[in-house]
Amino acid sequence: MAGIVVKGHFPRRRMVQVVASNIFRYIFRGAARNWFRNMSSTAPALGSMTLLLFLTGVIGLSGLALYNLEQVEAGQASVLHVYMRDSAASADVDALWDRLAQDSRVASVAYTTKSEALKRAQRIPGLPQLADASESNPFPASLDVQVKNINDVAAIDVMVRNDIAVDPVYPTSYDQGAYQRIQAVLFGVAVAGLAFLALLGFVAVTVTVNSIRAAIHSRRDEVAIMQLVGAPRWMVRGPFVVEGAITGGLAGAVAGTVTFGLAMTGIAAGSSSFAQFAPGITATVAALAAATVFAAGLGLGSGSSLVSLRRHLES
Amino acid sequence: MRSIVEFIGVTRAYGSRLALDDVHLALEPGELAFLVGPSGAGKTTLLKLINREIRPTKGEVWVDGVPAHSLKASHVAGVRRRVGVVFQDYKLLPRLTAMENVALALQVTDLRVSDEEASDRALDALEAVGLGDRGRAFPHQLSGGQQQRVAVARAVVAQPPLLIADEPTGNLDLETSWEMMDLFEDIAAFGTAVLIATHNVEIVRRLQRRVLTLVQGRLVRDQPAGRTGRLTWLASS
Repeated sequence: MAGIVVKGHFPRRRMVQVVASNIFRYIFRGAARNWFRNMSSTAPALGSMTLLLFLTGVIGLSGLALYNLEQVEAGQASVLHVYMRDSAASADVDALWDRLAQDSRVASVAYTTKSEALKRAQRIPGLPQLADASESNPFPASLDVQVKNINDVAAIDVMVRNDIAVDPVYPTSYDQGAYQRIQAVLFGVAVAGLAFLALLGFVAVTVTVNSIRAAIHSRRDEVAIMQLVGAPRWMVRGPFVVEGAITGGLAGAVAGTVTFGLAMTGIAAGSSSFAQFAPGITATVAALAAATVFAAGLGLGSGSSLVSLRRHLES
Repeated sequence: MRSIVEFIGVTRAYGSRLALDDVHLALEPGELAFLVGPSGAGKTTLLKLINREIRPTKGEVWVDGVPAHSLKASHVAGVRRRVGVVFQDYKLLPRLTAMENVALALQVTDLRVSDEEASDRALDALEAVGLGDRGRAFPHQLSGGQQQRVAVARAVVAQPPLLIADEPTGNLDLETSWEMMDLFEDIAAFGTAVLIATHNVEIVRRLQRRVLTLVQGRLVRDQPAGRTGRLTWLASS
C-alpha cells in the first residue's frame, strides 16, 4: 500500500509560539501600552533623567578630555629642548648628541635647525608676531631630548646646561616644577569633576528612583491584583521593568544625542583650538559617550523600577 | 479522597488579637459550604489564609496538597492557580475590559492558552454569569452587581479545584443573588469545592448546604449539609 505523508502542525512548536506570543504581549506590548497611558506620571522622571544624563555625558567627555590633556602635557614635559649657541661647532653639537643618545635615561634625540624652530614657533599662538618683529631668526637650533622617565629630566638638564655647544643664556627648556604645577591643577580639576560626577550620579539615581517609585506607587492596586489572581513574580515585574527601560532608554537617547551633537558642533566649529583644549574628543569618542549615556539610561530606568517594585511585592 | 482544603490547628494573630484560634477543617472536592459568623469573626482571615495572602501564626494550611503555610512568597502563584477568588471589593483591573480581566486570570495561570482560546473561554464565563454582552465594558462602566459577576467569571474561568467567595451576593439584588447561587451549585456539581463567606441568612437556610460558623476566631459549629437548622443565631448577628 502506498504510504501517505500527512503534514500537520507540530503541537509543541505551536505551543512555543503561543507561549512566546503571550510573554511578548504581557511584557513588551503591555509595557508599551502602559507607558503611553501613564506618560503624565512618568514625565517628571523622564525630564529629570534626561537632564542628569546629559550633564553626566558632558562631564564624562570633559573628564576624558582632561585625562588626554594630562597625557599630552606629560609627553611634552618629558621632552627637554637643549638650545644650541649660534656659534656652536658641528663637532661639539655631534659630541653632545652622542653623549645624550648613549645615556640610558634617554629614549631619543632629534636635532631641530633654526629654520625648523622658526616654522614651529609660527604655529604657536602669539609667537609669529615675535618672529616678524625681528629681522633675523631669533629661535635657536636645539637638540630635542625625549627622556624616558619624567623624573630624570632635571638630571639631564644639569648634565647638559654647561656644555660648550649649549647656549649659556637660555640653555634648556627645563622649568623646574612646571609639570608638577600642571599635574596638580589637572589633579584638582579631576577630583572636583569626579566628585561632581558622583554627586550628579547620586542625584540622578535618587530623583529617578523616587519618580519611578511614585509612578509605581500610584499603580500599587494593579500590582496587588496581578499577584492575587496568581500571576507569577516575573509577570508582575516584567512590564514595570520594561516600562522603566523605555523611560530610561528614551531619556538616555535624548541626552546621548544632545551630548553627541554638542561634541560634534565643538569639533566642527573650532577644529584646531578644540583639539588643543579637548584632545582625544573625536566623532568616535562622542558616539561612544552617547552610547554609554543611552545604556546608563536603560540601566537606571529598569533598575529603578525593579528596586521600586520590591516593596509592593508580597513577602 | 484527599481534601482540597485542610486546616490543622490554625491560629492567626494580629498583634495580641486572635483572628483565628485553633481552627481545624477540611473541604472535599465538589463540596459547597458556607462560612458564616458575625463581623470580625475571622471569615475573611480564613479566606486569606487559603489564598496565601497571609500566613498562619501557628498550624498548617493545605490547599490541594500544597502547604500554603510554609510556601515562599516566590511560589505563592502556585497556590493561587488552584484557587479562584471572588473578592468582596471585586479587585478588577480598571484599565482592562471585563473580557480582558477574565482572560487575564486564565492566561497568567497558563501561558499556553492562546488569545483566541482565552477570549472564547472568557466569553463563555461571562455568558455563564449573564454578562455575555458586556465583555467590552470597562469596570467603571458596570454596576456593582455586574462587577461582582465579572469577578465570579474571572474566578471560575480557569476551572480551579477550589473557589472561595467573600460576600459574593453583597452587592446583588435578590434575583441575581439566586442566579449566582445556582452558578455556584453548578460549579460544585462539576467537582469544584466552593466556600462562600456570607451574611445572607435566606440563602444559607434555603440551600441546606454545609455551614461552618466562626465566632471570635473559633470554629464553633460545623453543620453538615441538610441539617442547617433554623440559624437563628445568624439572623441575630
